[in-house]
Amino acid sequence: MSQRNGGRVFGMALLTAQDNPPLAAKPRGLRPVNFALTLPALLLLVVFFILPVLSLLLRSVLEPAPGLGNYAALLGSTTYLKIFLNTFVVSALVTAVTLAIGFPVAWALAIMPSRLSSIVFAILLLSMWTNLLTRTYAWMVLLQRTGVINKALMGMGLISEPLPLVNNLTGVTIGMTYIMLPFIILPLYGVIRKIDPAILQAAALCGATRWQALTRVLIPLATPGMVSGALMVFVMSLGYFVTPSLLGGTANMMLAELIAQFVQSLVNWGMGGAAALVLLVVTLTLYAIQLKLFGTARMEGR
Amino acid sequence: MLLNFDRLGGWKWVLLGITAMTSAFLILPIFFIAALSFGSSQWLIFPPPGWTLKWYAMFFADPRWLEAAGTSFYIAAIVTVLSVLIGLVTSFGLVRGRFIGKEGLRALFLTPMILPVVVLAVALYAFFLRVGLNGTVTGFVIAHLVVALPFSILSITNALEGFDKSIEDAAVLCGASPLEAKIRVTLPSISHGLFSAAVFSFLTSWDEVVLAIFMASPTLQTLPVKIWATLRQDLTPVIAAASTLLIVVTIALMLLVALLRKGLKS
Amino acid sequence: MSQPFLQIQALRKDYGIVTAVQEVNLTVERGEFMTFLGPSGSGKSTTLYILAGFENPTAGDILLDGRSLISTPSHKRNIGMVFQRYTLFPHLSVGENIAFPLKVRRLGKAEIDAKVARMLKLVRLEGFEDRKPAQMSGGQQQRVALARALAYDPPVLLMDEPLSALDKKLREEIQHEIRRIHQETEVTILYVTHDQEEALRLSDRIAVFSRGVIDQIGTGPELYANPATRFVAEFVGDSDFVGCRIVAAQGGRADIAIGSSAIRGVPLHGPGAAGGTAALMLRPERLSLTRGAGAQGGANLAATVTDITFLGSNIHVAAAAETGEALSVRLPFGHEAASRISRGDAITLGFDPASAHVFVAS
Repeated sequence: MSQRNGGRVFGMALLTAQDNPPLAAKPRGLRPVNFALTLPALLLLVVFFILPVLSLLLRSVLEPAPGLGNYAALLGSTTYLKIFLNTFVVSALVTAVTLAIGFPVAWALAIMPSRLSSIVFAILLLSMWTNLLTRTYAWMVLLQRTGVINKALMGMGLISEPLPLVNNLTGVTIGMTYIMLPFIILPLYGVIRKIDPAILQAAALCGATRWQALTRVLIPLATPGMVSGALMVFVMSLGYFVTPSLLGGTANMMLAELIAQFVQSLVNWGMGGAAALVLLVVTLTLYAIQLKLFGTARMEGR
Repeated sequence: MLLNFDRLGGWKWVLLGITAMTSAFLILPIFFIAALSFGSSQWLIFPPPGWTLKWYAMFFADPRWLEAAGTSFYIAAIVTVLSVLIGLVTSFGLVRGRFIGKEGLRALFLTPMILPVVVLAVALYAFFLRVGLNGTVTGFVIAHLVVALPFSILSITNALEGFDKSIEDAAVLCGASPLEAKIRVTLPSISHGLFSAAVFSFLTSWDEVVLAIFMASPTLQTLPVKIWATLRQDLTPVIAAASTLLIVVTIALMLLVALLRKGLKS
Repeated sequence: MSQPFLQIQALRKDYGIVTAVQEVNLTVERGEFMTFLGPSGSGKSTTLYILAGFENPTAGDILLDGRSLISTPSHKRNIGMVFQRYTLFPHLSVGENIAFPLKVRRLGKAEIDAKVARMLKLVRLEGFEDRKPAQMSGGQQQRVALARALAYDPPVLLMDEPLSALDKKLREEIQHEIRRIHQETEVTILYVTHDQEEALRLSDRIAVFSRGVIDQIGTGPELYANPATRFVAEFVGDSDFVGCRIVAAQGGRADIAIGSSAIRGVPLHGPGAAGGTAALMLRPERLSLTRGAGAQGGANLAATVTDITFLGSNIHVAAAAETGEALSVRLPFGHEAASRISRGDAITLGFDPASAHVFVAS
């Protein structure tokens, strides 16, 4: 899911979820009128979404000359490959960190008394819905050389010189983790909620220590949720634009910013289109894998 | 036992600790920005040496900031209306219709939500350059509509599917024409879905950054674009003020939706 | 003879390759309470929905007072309907619900208020105008639905299993209400149910539906005493079936043989011919019982007792026929022979052949 749209879906799902009993629809035969109702939206999508994207991808193989020259340039140059690698590394790092933090939090949420958990949920939702720029800006300020964190660390005597926390990998990772945490916590929470506590009780009765029960029972049972959440965070991170641009600095360019640069600064539609296609293909492939593993329920955030 | 809060023993505190720290991690930056917007230091020193409202004054005094905010609001309002209307019509087609490819169509309508926005932004930028829609309100509205519509459709189809169609049929039998029955009976019954669709469409447009960067021109900027442009130059606290205003609007709308949902459940 | 009030002619409804209604022909008199009785999937609800205008028939027509209904759109048919799921408008109060059809017809406020008051009185819910449907019980909601359906004085009222969602006691209470309202308003009612007791209790006539056709139309007593098909015999009243052989068939009657017994002059339904097999239908409460193998006047059937149950006013004896089928016998409390038999005893069941029936599958 792109940028914070995924957050919208979760927020929306939580705020508007209805418990609908399935109602049997009476068969009414083919009604051409109803299909026509979807035409305005369909036209909008086709003209302003599908066609422009296809056109862009077409340009990648037609400009400046027909052929795969752009892709050769993209995948052959070390500069660009470094950017791909960087994108991949950052995304993987963010995914790992959010998973490591997110699992215990989701676990705690699933079993905490509801007075406490509702506070945490409110915080999660507020965080997801707060403007992306605002949150990124906050980290830009916090992580700067004269920022709170450096000042606190120096004040505690842990360091003598301010650490470079922004415009590098550290800054991007912290910022992206901040954004992505709710996206892993919420689905993981859902999965752990569904696990029957009796199973863990049975494990204890069988003589398993808490550590054994954790590694041999709880984590394996929660793995589908973890894999699904991790995939989602990874895919989102790959395509992220705002946060990496602001917190990463020029040495840390990621794929989305590269695409933007090709198009805005360099006006190189061929390369821009090619980079976009690479991003698109990787995204779709990962979604296809997720679909195959978990079905469509996840995508609609239900 | 691992899933029983009271029987976790020592581990309980570990989990609680991590959760507390994570919650603090998530919420503190937001309070931080709000606090900084009232701080008197220009370099965003925290704790601030003094308190002031001058950053807000600067924000409201600067016609460019106000114009950006106004543009954001104006565009978000148009997007909201269009999104709800088109979403309503589309939802009827998706929920009541029986035609081949319906499920595929439903999935297709959701794709703008799941694909990287930067790809759409670049593609539309190219397209709009050709047809001269770049830097126009129309272009902006179209771009935002594409990403807001999926939320609208999701919200309204959800509400419509939870509505018992026999009630609409009963209205028809009572003598109302099919259209009259939808307006008098169905629409009021799914009003919560329409409201959610409106709120989420508004927020999607109001907060949208990436598309806006590409759709904007020096004379037409939304608030996020202005913040982005300013951010790349310096970190003036006026941004903190603008951000806090954004946060307040978001919280207000979220509370509205939550209250409405609570009101419905009672 | 004047034109029948409501006429269903050769009605047919296909859904692709599935035929829900094969062919339905029916006339209903003005002011009649007619029930469509049958199991699910028999076509009774589909027929009702075609009447309401929610489905279009594949073939056939429906005439109301000589006017074709099929060509009239649903909202102009002026028919009232009550559904199983109440379907009250959730965002309107009780009074507004009842006023809705009147508002849609652009009646004046004074007239609307008067009619709403009259309807509330009819269903005995005075004082409930301002309540919302969510604040009322199932039985109350159904009465509001009834009031709303009758508010505009429709010539016909359709009811689609309106009481299935209610518990037994409430159901009986509202059945009583429906009868009373029918008598007071004299509206023509078409009622769908799968519950034979409900059908017998409420209706003037019953149309028994089976697999898309009407097997038989008649009053309760007619259906009980002279079922036209095996299905009707099984659906209305209790029944026992015993396999038999047709020895001779003539003039609507058959002579049959069951094991060693021979029975003559039983009413025959279906294409029976000598030598063919058929099923003999007996009513458990019309069997007489004697111990041993005694012959009695009328027809006789040998059987063995498998169980005896005391049910208050009845004694229920379960037995096995010679040919193995399970039989039920219902005897009044105090029946002499019944109190002296026990499991495994040989008994003879007697019945009047003229009131039994033989069915041949067609």
